[in-house]
Amino acid sequence: MRVLCCLDGTNVEQVSRATEMLSTSQPLTLAILYVTDTGPRHDIEHLRERFLRPPDPPPPREEEIRQAEKTSAQDILNEGLRYFPAAEALQRQGRPEREIVNTAAEWQADLVIVCPRAEYGGKRAIGPKSVGHVARFVVDHAPCPVLLVRRLARQQFPIPR
Amino acid sequence: MPELTKAVLTSLVGVLTLIGIMTRPFRWNEAMIAIGGAAVLLLLGLISPADAFLTLVRDWNTFLFFLGMMALSALAEAAGLFDWLAAQAARLAGKSAARLFLNVFLLGSLISMVLSNDATALILTPIVYVLVTKLRLPVLPYLFACTFIADTASFLLPVSNPINVIIISRFPLDLWTFLRLLFLPSLVVIGFNIGLFFLLYRNQLKGSFDIERLPSAEQAIKHRAYFRYTCCVITVVAFAYVMASAVQLPLSLVALSGAVLLLIGAIGWKQISLRQTAKRISWSIFGFIAGMFIVVRAIEDTGLTTRFGNWLIHLSGGTSFGAVMVGTVGAALGTNLINNVPMAVVMISALGGIRHAGPSLQHGFVAATIFGCDLGPNLTTVGSLATVLWLLILRQRDVDVSGLDYFKVGVVVTPLMLLVGALTIWLLL
Repeated sequence: MRVLCCLDGTNVEQVSRATEMLSTSQPLTLAILYVTDTGPRHDIEHLRERFLRPPDPPPPREEEIRQAEKTSAQDILNEGLRYFPAAEALQRQGRPEREIVNTAAEWQADLVIVCPRAEYGGKRAIGPKSVGHVARFVVDHAPCPVLLVRRLARQQFPIPR
Repeated sequence: MPELTKAVLTSLVGVLTLIGIMTRPFRWNEAMIAIGGAAVLLLLGLISPADAFLTLVRDWNTFLFFLGMMALSALAEAAGLFDWLAAQAARLAGKSAARLFLNVFLLGSLISMVLSNDATALILTPIVYVLVTKLRLPVLPYLFACTFIADTASFLLPVSNPINVIIISRFPLDLWTFLRLLFLPSLVVIGFNIGLFFLLYRNQLKGSFDIERLPSAEQAIKHRAYFRYTCCVITVVAFAYVMASAVQLPLSLVALSGAVLLLIGAIGWKQISLRQTAKRISWSIFGFIAGMFIVVRAIEDTGLTTRFGNWLIHLSGGTSFGAVMVGTVGAALGTNLINNVPMAVVMISALGGIRHAGPSLQHGFVAATIFGCDLGPNLTTVGSLATVLWLLILRQRDVDVSGLDYFKVGVVVTPLMLLVGALTIWLLL
């Protein structure tokens, strides 16, 4: 089974546990994917236009931004490769939700593993809006089944009946 | 040409120029549109060349302030000052994402206060983006923090926003009155802004970061001697700004002197050439402001702006509370329609009639205009209502767009900040 694992810089352990469980039943061909979100850069361009400047930051700053994005993406994929040594590493740029579904189609994934949202330490695992817009889009538009993986939330039970 | 025809033609050109700036057809540059409007007025004889020239000469302080301010920021950036400050902010955060968020707000306030909101929005924002990308923190809260604080902290001092210079060039406020009416409300609004953002992003700010991912602050410094020199000059400039405001000296002289001192140092230490410095300055801004000054001057002669001003005074009911509320709401909405520079120019022309009003009404309108023009852009942040409408249309067509996240935050947070700030100004009148 070809499994596309979507990394966001905070979820490699959860995705790894999910693939371990899956691999007990059948052999897996894995790919890890990290998408650099270009949205914030567009926001910076809009901001510059508001201040009556050309949209692109000056070349040295632009290069610095590109370098930081590249290094961060590479770090996340290298971290992923420590958990999935045999996996194919894929790196994309754009809107994450669209890049994920398009990559799933191109790579002919049989399953996409994605987490509900990036975990920065605060949000409870379950509850309203626990699924972010990227995961929601992937569930709605992926060309194959999607496995939504999140951490255990037994301590949040029982929920009001 | 009969007076009525002249008035109708001038108003038509003025309105078309403002609509052009608002909608930017074919992605034309705003400067081109403003200069085009002024050129049409001159060609049709709706404003005399002598009048246009005098209008520009009268506002020399504004032009030179823009030049000095942009040069100061560019030269400080060349020294690595902003990168160094951002790295220090990260180190002082002690690995806490929330403390870094607070430090970004404080650093943005400091930079806006001394080097204007342009420096925070245009230089600090990409630096913070690089910083949080390297630290693997959620990008958007920090980006929003930079964008918002640029405007929220832009009425701490007269130099914190070029809009302030445009307005107080026409309606001088002594330093004490400025600080009383705008510095204290600014502190209140900054506090309110920080509090609201912590509430909005509380879930994304609970984590920590690995400081090892960052290069040392020392690496930001490109040349040690020039860096130290820049720190000294900027500190002196900050004090000189306050002194100049206190004795009502033109602020442009301080900004330009500081820029010249930095330029001498930069050339002496071979850090940046005059040509490279000139490249970092947005020259089209001068065309934009000049065009707007001429267009509004021509409209002024038709009596349209005076009527607008009288209508604002009428709406205020002649009370200081009304003046603050009407001034704030009018300026804030206007900045989102036509950008804050043209709105400030329109407002100073419209408010000519308040010179004969009582001091509290006069101060109320002037402070509220500064406040509304400075803070108002946070409502749409991406530029103007026209930009937001365009983004919404694109989204409906399922085209890749960004900027709407800013808008959502802006429409929630900014009206609250406008209300709190306006009430504080009124209480201090």
